[in-house]
Amino acid sequence: MCARNSLYTNPKPCKHLADYKLRHGFNGYDSLQNCLKITPNGRARVDKHNTKIPRCNFCNGSQGRLYICLICSAISCSSHILLHTQSEKGHEVAVDMERSELYCCLCRDQVYDPDFDKVVVSKQVKDLPGGSKSNGFEGGCDGSSKRKRLDSGIGLDLKKSKLLITMRDRRAKSCYPLGLRGLNNLGSTCFMNSVLQALLHAPPLRNYFLSDRHNSFQCRKKSGEKVCLLCDIDALYSAMFSGDRTPYSPAQFLYSWWQHSSNLASYEEQDAHEFFISVLDVIHEKESKMLNSRKDDGYCQCIAHRAFSGLLRSDVTCISCGFTSTTYDPCVDISLNLDTSILSPSDVANKPIKPDEKTGVSTLSGCLNLFTGAEKLGSDQKLHCQNCQELRDSSKQLSIRRLPLVLCLHIKRVEHSLVRKMSRKINQYLQFPFSLDMTPYLSSSITRNRFGNRIFAFEYENSDSCAEYEIFSVIAHSGMLESGHYVTYLRLKNQWYKCDDAWVSEVDEGIVRASQCYMLFYVQKPLFYKANEDTRCVRISPRRDPFSSTAGCSSNAK
Amino acid sequence: MKHSVNRPPTPDAAEDQGKEPTLQEIINIKLIESGEKERLMELLRERLIDCGWKDEMKAICRAYIKKKGRNNVTVDDLVHLITPKGRASVPDNVKADLLQRIRTFLMSAAL
Repeated sequence: MCARNSLYTNPKPCKHLADYKLRHGFNGYDSLQNCLKITPNGRARVDKHNTKIPRCNFCNGSQGRLYICLICSAISCSSHILLHTQSEKGHEVAVDMERSELYCCLCRDQVYDPDFDKVVVSKQVKDLPGGSKSNGFEGGCDGSSKRKRLDSGIGLDLKKSKLLITMRDRRAKSCYPLGLRGLNNLGSTCFMNSVLQALLHAPPLRNYFLSDRHNSFQCRKKSGEKVCLLCDIDALYSAMFSGDRTPYSPAQFLYSWWQHSSNLASYEEQDAHEFFISVLDVIHEKESKMLNSRKDDGYCQCIAHRAFSGLLRSDVTCISCGFTSTTYDPCVDISLNLDTSILSPSDVANKPIKPDEKTGVSTLSGCLNLFTGAEKLGSDQKLHCQNCQELRDSSKQLSIRRLPLVLCLHIKRVEHSLVRKMSRKINQYLQFPFSLDMTPYLSSSITRNRFGNRIFAFEYENSDSCAEYEIFSVIAHSGMLESGHYVTYLRLKNQWYKCDDAWVSEVDEGIVRASQCYMLFYVQKPLFYKANEDTRCVRISPRRDPFSSTAGCSSNAK
Repeated sequence: MKHSVNRPPTPDAAEDQGKEPTLQEIINIKLIESGEKERLMELLRERLIDCGWKDEMKAICRAYIKKKGRNNVTVDDLVHLITPKGRASVPDNVKADLLQRIRTFLMSAAL
């Protein structure tokens, strides 16, 4: 399992802070707690007397940073804080009054103590409206105390997959990893082909179907239905992983899918993301029927949800009083908006830049920051605050409560203009990483930042779920809204491949990075490395020695 | 507390209080007492985040820490580093807005 993210290792106290704690324990902290004032947006300030202005004992100044001594409550400004320590022996630790942070006068630096942060946060929680029920403290929240472990391991282990017994096609590129095969375009179906390529190589799905978890024979016996999309997916996997390299036509799958989504059944170009959602939906429906469970929450055990389902948290905060109401919603992907205010260097080459325009490259982390940033809802969107008992201006913030095994990020590239009553495509380039750390976007991180980045465990942090991801597929779009083309890039065993309908080729990672990404597929690091250990199934041929080398490829004896 | 025995003589604050408080000080006191200063500080914080000023300062700090090493930097160092840069890079529209609000407040406080 991944080690806890190094961003949040607690700093060690300095010698002076340690000494202070030995001598005075929590006395100073506790008496300080009574002097803390909490503003509606959660800031904690030290404010002993509401009306009197704090002034430095030495220069009577009230500007700049003021510190209050933890032992004698004397106030000094940053220029004179050293004088206080010199005149009073042992008075080495003070608190920054504006920020409620510990300061060591001798080290001349901010220091940190989890016990101090606990005192501050307790006051923040107590004073903010809603008490401990809101503001990130999951007292009776669903899932925190009886945290069900998504059994990510069971049933998804490739080692249990049956051996594929097949003749090797000697003309094929046998050096290509298993499962790499082109898909024929059946009439503007590149949207379908691109998504299928990505799904075929999503480790949990791949392992599930290649382990024969959905047995077509038993399925037909049970349900008696003629059309089962899962059986067709199973057939697709068998065909794609058979070792045959000639392009495959997923006609049966297309037909089945049309049966389920009749409104999308046409030869028109469709949206790949819409198709993706619809496929997961169908898998869920079918499996729910078979498993006899109707759980629409995030703990559904169908393969689609086990692989892709995560939990989003939405906090709506009243700007006037600080009361926060929290809701949770399951999701199978995250749709990100592009920051269209960022102009690329090529855009500004010939134009003068206005003072407040931003230039640079749009990055995925920028989009994720936008997604999890606090958004001020307009004054036409006032919400009813339970505490104030009336409509108030609010701010909304999203964060990820639980990450999925496979993270699908969808980049919204369609812009709807209500004025012109038309939609257009946003071609802005988006830079994305191959390794992605989702820790800053977790609810625990977002909540921690809201309370001043204190050393405090706000939520039950899922220690058995990894926040580090590796990319394994990119669906790129080129062209215009109505007449574009989708291709999929796959990353298998650290080599990138381009799947353009029937044409599969090796490509350099530079090509992938430069592509116009539309959907990005990341998988949790441990699953990625496991899946890439050995993507070549041992195939037993009745007529040939399995260890003889094939033309054009040297055998890797592992 | 026994510490009062060892306390040095009261510093020269008494001398300073002989002087008349400056206009700036009077305004500051009025702002704090009415709670307006806190509101303005909140507003300023918001504006500086929106225009990317906070991110800029963060980036400067990060670069400095990277150069010097995480354990060789104190809060004081960072404050001394970014104070001049920070003051200089506050956008004009933010300055103008805050100034206008202070003016409005002063007129309503009928100084």
